[in-house]
Amino acid sequence: MVKTADAVIIGGGISGAAIAYELLKRGMKDVVVIEKDYIAAGATGRCGAGIRQQWGTEMNCIFSKYSCEAFERAEEELQYEGDIEFHQGGYLMLISTESEMEQMKKNVKLQNSLGIESKLLNLEESKEIVPFLNTEGLLGCAFHQKDGHLNPFHTNQAYANAAKRLGGHIYLYTTVTGIDVENGKIKGVQTDKGYISTKIVVNAAGGYSMQIADMAGVKLPLYSERHQILVTEPVEPILEPMVMSFSLNLYCQQVPHGSFIMGQTGKNEPQDLRITSSWDFLDDMTSTITKVLPPLKNLRLLRQWAGLYNMSPDKQPIYSAVKEVEGFYVAAGYSGHGFMFGPATGTVMAELILGLEPTLPWKQLNIERFEKGELIIEPSVV
Amino acid sequence: MRIENHPVLDFGERKAVKFTFDGKELGGYENEPIAAALHAAGMRDISHSLVKHRPRGLYCAIGNCSSCMMVVNGESNVRICLEPLKEGMTVETQKGRGEIL
Repeated sequence: MVKTADAVIIGGGISGAAIAYELLKRGMKDVVVIEKDYIAAGATGRCGAGIRQQWGTEMNCIFSKYSCEAFERAEEELQYEGDIEFHQGGYLMLISTESEMEQMKKNVKLQNSLGIESKLLNLEESKEIVPFLNTEGLLGCAFHQKDGHLNPFHTNQAYANAAKRLGGHIYLYTTVTGIDVENGKIKGVQTDKGYISTKIVVNAAGGYSMQIADMAGVKLPLYSERHQILVTEPVEPILEPMVMSFSLNLYCQQVPHGSFIMGQTGKNEPQDLRITSSWDFLDDMTSTITKVLPPLKNLRLLRQWAGLYNMSPDKQPIYSAVKEVEGFYVAAGYSGHGFMFGPATGTVMAELILGLEPTLPWKQLNIERFEKGELIIEPSVV
Repeated sequence: MRIENHPVLDFGERKAVKFTFDGKELGGYENEPIAAALHAAGMRDISHSLVKHRPRGLYCAIGNCSSCMMVVNGESNVRICLEPLKEGMTVETQKGRGEIL
């Protein structure tokens, strides 16, 4: 293990790997990533892995458009030898209520103004995209063809490999046990495999970001919530887009391999870092999805699992320095969309740490916004 | 091939049934796994691998490995090592990953 580093990033998920890559790309030399488990072991590898540009705030539209375009060229830019399985079959967002329709109309207008070619579809047009969609109780759908989904393991690995190629060090199965702060400045990171002197620490620990911040004496206004997900047996491809509904609180996609992956936000999910599975989820998820997409009743389940949403008060990430501790940076609190924002996270944090001009509107995502009450409320989240 | 006399197991009285496999009529015993009847009829290539399409035989025979999936009475992905044989069943080789529409 190296003894000194220009920056130590805690967390080897999509965020940590993308931050490492973007820092190295911009010329930083000794960049270290510490991962307590393996690449994509946390929320990255557990997520639904969709990317949508159909958001309700300008900022989120810009971040997701940036990330989508990065995913489109990721294999080439990152020189990945594998396939990140980016499938741009669109996001079909189901609209069930008048208020949802009003919101979607506003969203589509905003998205179109930012170069995102989303559109509203009537039920007939929706069925052209998913012929077996049960339109009962639906008023229409919003759709954007360039949205889609990709393989989170491969994507994360692609960033990690690219970071290594640029000279980065990634230490797997290594746990951070302490963060050394002296006179309000970062001095180093203690791990179970050794000590690394550094002036910069980036907290990209996802669901565990509060625990990491605690080690530096910083309180983050975040909590982690369990979210569950399941996968079915693979069958021949029949579902092109990611299907998503806010009122039914679900998303469902068919991966290129043929399996369906779907998730739903439970009512009483624990907020104590548990990632166990529950029977209720299976019951709720399967009964809801088979109403929306009836042929899925013919599928057998393979397994279910859970991961952590790292929730912030306004459901937006924190991309920020911390005023109490010089050199401590936070990239956390994605509230369920950290994977799709991965490329943006890398760019934002590199610009923030290196003091570069922002190419993305990240300044408003500082940690002080919560004290000041300058929350950025996104109307369209699951 | 069938073991008719086994030193320990007693198969008892069994009812002969007919079924079709890829359109061809075959016989077997009621409630034995479909795979047993096909094996008795000399069938060894149960399915084909998805990428290279190489033949796969009966492998785990206890419902775990997904190597023996066929279309039974129109339903894809039926594990024939477990599924009991019934009179008049339609059993077909499955191409690819199976259809649910």
